[in-house]
Amino acid sequence: MPPDKQYIPEFVGTVTKYVFVESPDVTPQMLVTAAYEISEGVMIKETCFGLQITGMPGEVSEIITELRKLDPPHIFVKDRGYPPGDTRRCRANLGGARPGYYGHEFEIGLVRYISKGLEKLGTEDNKYNYNPENTLTEKKKLPAEELVKIINSEVS
Amino acid sequence: MAKVFIYPSTSLILSDMVERFGHQPLGAAVAVREKIQTPGLDSPPMQMTPEDPKKGLKYAAVEVPAGVRGRMALFGPMIDEAEAAIIINDADLSFGCMGCSRTNELVKYLVRTREDIPVLDLNYPSDEEEGIQFVTNIKGFLDSLNMPEDESESMDNSGGEE
Amino acid sequence: MNDQPVRVAQLSCGPEHSGVQKEIYDAAEMVNAEMFFPDVTLKDITEAYQEFGLEAKSGDLKLAIARAKALVEGSVEADAVFIATCFRCSEAAIVRNELRRYIHNNSDLPVVSYSFTERTTSGTLLTRMEALTTIARRRALLAREVQEGITLGIDSGSSTTKAVVMKDNEIVGTGWTPTTEVLGSAKSVMESALEEAGIKLSEIDAVGTTGYGRYLIGNQLKADLIQEELTVNSKGAVYLADRQKGEATVIDIGGMDNKAISVQDGIPGTFTMGGICAGASGRFLEMTAKRLGIDITELGPLAMGGDSSVVPMNSYCIVFGTQSLVNALAEGHTKQDVAAAACRSVAEQVFEQQLQEVEIKEPVIMVGGTSLIQGLVNEMGKLLQTDIIVPHHSQYIGSVGSALLASGFIDNKDR
Repeated sequence: MPPDKQYIPEFVGTVTKYVFVESPDVTPQMLVTAAYEISEGVMIKETCFGLQITGMPGEVSEIITELRKLDPPHIFVKDRGYPPGDTRRCRANLGGARPGYYGHEFEIGLVRYISKGLEKLGTEDNKYNYNPENTLTEKKKLPAEELVKIINSEVS
Repeated sequence: MAKVFIYPSTSLILSDMVERFGHQPLGAAVAVREKIQTPGLDSPPMQMTPEDPKKGLKYAAVEVPAGVRGRMALFGPMIDEAEAAIIINDADLSFGCMGCSRTNELVKYLVRTREDIPVLDLNYPSDEEEGIQFVTNIKGFLDSLNMPEDESESMDNSGGEE
Repeated sequence: MNDQPVRVAQLSCGPEHSGVQKEIYDAAEMVNAEMFFPDVTLKDITEAYQEFGLEAKSGDLKLAIARAKALVEGSVEADAVFIATCFRCSEAAIVRNELRRYIHNNSDLPVVSYSFTERTTSGTLLTRMEALTTIARRRALLAREVQEGITLGIDSGSSTTKAVVMKDNEIVGTGWTPTTEVLGSAKSVMESALEEAGIKLSEIDAVGTTGYGRYLIGNQLKADLIQEELTVNSKGAVYLADRQKGEATVIDIGGMDNKAISVQDGIPGTFTMGGICAGASGRFLEMTAKRLGIDITELGPLAMGGDSSVVPMNSYCIVFGTQSLVNALAEGHTKQDVAAAACRSVAEQVFEQQLQEVEIKEPVIMVGGTSLIQGLVNEMGKLLQTDIIVPHHSQYIGSVGSALLASGFIDNKDR
């Protein structure tokens, strides 16, 4: 049996955040360029959906606040457990995508609706109000087909 | 700022919404980060060891599968710590940390039994109209967490009980 | 090992969160295999899952289904498949079984399925992983049907150590002893087998070892073949039973664990190796014999004269199972009935716990020391509703398989 190895973590105290962009106006490349300009040595890594930022929480937060300004309703941010390029989660090592990737793939297919919601927040033509008693939408028919359509349009 | 447990806890959308509107999302990434940044015995990929399913015994009995108890070792403490929660009920396409349906049933149940915290129930939007409603609900819910206690209580009562 | 690593596709739910993924990686590394996760898209997952038609709720099981389809359809290439889900999860057990069956029926990929707990270690997984890689890597060697030259096979099991000497496709010497000190027991059986054969160690052309002590003995003897018992025993079984072509099922109830192997042309397709409960092992029958005050060799004939249905056996556990026997004797049941009930209990447990995980295809061949206990073979035959073949020298199965396969190395030597 191989002996038990001690694990010495890297990047202790840092946070890593994904920044996703799904916008007609801002491309992932533009986001990366903007991030590099303000990064001041904080780690930036480009991904197919946008980028990942790794640094101390305050630094990362500042960069994200700035990046969000580029296109607030179309930029989405999420925590990541691993630092970028971590071999334990890298597709090149696993052979396939890490499990979390599929969840992102699914939600990225829906964010256009979220963007619409963000654009309409506080506007007069938003006819919806928050009513704590009634927050569950009635499910429409054919959600599976709708889903496949969304996925197809995202994949192709 | 409130600590808001999100379900699915791997959700990009919920994590973003909670942070965007000024609160702290408690999701899988936060729990995994803690694992990844803690020294110990090497156990790739998540630094979860057989000790984690044992920690999960706090939330599920020993006859519950190890994968459920291991996942509960990630989620359980976050549920205990949460000051509010948002649940998307039709999160069928979630994998990895959310990939076990039995765990997910237990997670949702434990959130609901935390009667001292407000919980927002949602479905994923499937068109723009639902998207607007979805975001409005989240914003409204998260804003209500900011209110001083007496105000939020009076708002709760405004539901028409009088 | 200078070979390319064997690429083993992992279909699983739960090992990462149970602290078991590292154990899987470690077991794979020990046999120069490489675990990977077949790449699929979200679209593949939704489509594959709907097409497959099994309504699993868990996302990771849906993902496993999509990955299995990618392997069967050939969009992702692999050498072997390892299916692992949590022990005690019924949803996962259904998916695990159906995926194993689906892959076995629709591809040539060797498959092993396993349900783990947080206590599962790389040591437990090693034999299974080694068998998977052997099937993938050594198909040519496993195709050997005739023993040539003079070869020695040693099987170092948890209960007993066995040796055979083979010459020109015949068994010419055997040795058998209870396992005590691994090397000492091996030396003793080797000497017996050589003496019976009238052959000197220096005349042996090639040596093969198998069983728990295979590495220790194999390294000591500089064996040509050091091989786990799953592939060796299935090879030995079809060889001795003269069923080398076509389908067969091999059952080996060992002292510590049981093997159930679905074989095609002598090569294992799917297999399971149990070892969670001693109640389903040869050890239980040893304890029964001891309690009845007879030698283990007398248990089989005794059981054949009894009626297993009159003695209730309601425990999976070796301790409580023995207690049931004691109670039955106290109630006045005959030794014959109790012996038959013990055989029935072991057969039932193997049937319930393991034979559900492989395809039972006739002929069913029982091997290993326990196959000499007629009562056990009889009860197993009743459960499977078939006549079970017990080949000659079946208790030497590992040694015979090793000696047969080792002869494949003779041509490569300068002699």
